[in-house]
Amino acid sequence: MSAKKQSVLANVRELPSNLWHSIFRNPLPHNDVERSATSFTNFFLHIHPVKVNKNTLRPIYTMGLGLMSFFLFVILVVSGILLMFYYVPSTEQAYDRMLDLRGSVAFGTFLRNMHRWAAHGMVAVVFFHMCRVFFTGAYKRPREFNWVLGVVLLLITLFLSFTGYLLPWDQLAFWAITVGTAIAGYAPLIGKQIRFLLLGDASVGQEALLRFYVLHVALLPAIATLLIAIHFWRIRKDGGLSRPARAEGKPELSISVQAVELDPKRTYGLQGLVRGPLVKVGNVPENSVYSWPNLLIAELFALVVTLAIILIVSLLFNAPLEEPVNVMHPPNPAKAPWYFLGLQEMVSYSAFWGGVGVPGLFVLLLILTPYLDRSPGGVGLWFSRKRLLANTVFLTFVIVNIAFIVIGTFFRGPNWSFVTPW
Amino acid sequence: MGLNPRRDAGTDSDDRASRRRLLGWLSGVGLFGSGILSAFSNFVFIKPRATYGAPQRFTAGKPSDYPDGTRVALEPRRVCIVRDGNKLAAISTTCTHLGCIVGLSETGFACPCHGSRYDQDGTVTGGPAPKPLAWYKVSLAPNGELEIDKDVEVNPGTYLNV
Ligand code: HEM
Ligand code: FES
Repeated sequence: MSAKKQSVLANVRELPSNLWHSIFRNPLPHNDVERSATSFTNFFLHIHPVKVNKNTLRPIYTMGLGLMSFFLFVILVVSGILLMFYYVPSTEQAYDRMLDLRGSVAFGTFLRNMHRWAAHGMVAVVFFHMCRVFFTGAYKRPREFNWVLGVVLLLITLFLSFTGYLLPWDQLAFWAITVGTAIAGYAPLIGKQIRFLLLGDASVGQEALLRFYVLHVALLPAIATLLIAIHFWRIRKDGGLSRPARAEGKPELSISVQAVELDPKRTYGLQGLVRGPLVKVGNVPENSVYSWPNLLIAELFALVVTLAIILIVSLLFNAPLEEPVNVMHPPNPAKAPWYFLGLQEMVSYSAFWGGVGVPGLFVLLLILTPYLDRSPGGVGLWFSRKRLLANTVFLTFVIVNIAFIVIGTFFRGPNWSFVTPW
Repeated sequence: MGLNPRRDAGTDSDDRASRRRLLGWLSGVGLFGSGILSAFSNFVFIKPRATYGAPQRFTAGKPSDYPDGTRVALEPRRVCIVRDGNKLAAISTTCTHLGCIVGLSETGFACPCHGSRYDQDGTVTGGPAPKPLAWYKVSLAPNGELEIDKDVEVNPGTYLNV
């Protein structure tokens, strides 16, 4: 900033470059200081730490599953908002709007495919992300609460998918939701009330469609966005992603802020309030690399892979659309969405235990996991020997869960009797 | 306010501290109370007082419309009117398993969804249904029509004599 007066002409000549530099404060980085500054000063990049541990970047450690969940969520938000331009949540119009998407809206089928397949994909990927976190022991101190947030995110993901299932208002949608909400009705005492609140009526109809629509396009996405933001924030504050401890037994560092009154007579700066280890610059320097470009490239790669899979699947397969709703003629068998077919399978053995008791207990156990298993060992490694018991128990849960879903999906035919799919 | 530490160290510091505590306490109680109230009122709001769908209470013609031995399903209403001699009853056609609509069969009712079967009185005879079909209250409206109230369940075997 020199005092020298510049001619307006010169200002105009420099305008493009000045504009550019006012938006992007840093040039493409060439040295470590600039690399730090890039992550630090860009709104979209500052979610990253300046440096990340090398373990974080090992592809087989996270498998990018959490990131893929997030990217699928983004794809769903974008495609969902576009679909909203044509969708009407009315029992009279909804189905016709589906036909219009197929017949007269440019890219309508494609968008619907993307939205549908990304939704199914997200349920699966979030579940596998949870498995990854468990088998690497990543829920242990200090990440207990992020695990709890994760469990809530899993439930919200399921609920988002479930509420979206009704919107096409075809036979598949109607009976899946009829069956799905009936399962909720099995909860003792409050089951019937919950079902009534959810449906806004005694059975699935216009009120239910409107309620599911509001939940699906407004309330649940807003909650999910907020929780995902906190989930990410806490990853940073918990000291980055989990990794093998260098010296066993020593808890990892994490940022903890404690307010201590130094001297009541003194005015002091904020630093004076902060106790305990702060940013881990120099903590494990030999084992960390700059986020720009290492982490960024890994993330972009995960994004491209996610996008590519969704695009290809959407080009190849069309989202199902069955006959319009016919309240008089349930299909045989009527099935809930696939991720609830394990539930439905269990409900066919015992209504209460299968539909409410076992799943409720399962969710409770999931939430309590990091508080029940407090042993510090085995964090940061897949299937650590130190966690043999915990991993075996969880693996059993996972296999049983998947087995029930597979049975319910492929091996149940008319009258819910056992059939072979081949 | 409060920027000058010496002010805090004065003789009135106890006063200020207790005022602060009182204010904090009041705000806490106020916010907590509003939270509870708003949760409660949202719950009341979201629970519909009147539903827009098919009404739970409706009339279904005169008893003479149903001759002896009739078993007829009023499908949109999800009930089956049964007449046995002078006795009339309304049995639910909503399957107690997962809410599909049961159809009339030779032996009573059968659900197409997962194969639950019921006898003529709605007692479960097979399949995953955990409970018998509900029986609803039937009464005679002043104009002589049958009135069925699906909000009121009666014991199976409770008939209206006409
Ligand atoms: C909407 C769903 C979710 C999104 C978008 C999401 C996103 C992420 C991302 C991007 C990461 C960074 C590491 C990685 O990619 O694996 C992560 C880590 C983590 N997630 Fe999730 N997640 C979701 C659901 C869950 C669930 C269901 C759980 C477990 C019940 C969970 C627990 C955790 C924990 C404990 C970490 C830290 C892992 C570590 O430090 O190694 N998250 N999540
Ligand atoms: S809903 Fe009737 S048998 Fe399942």
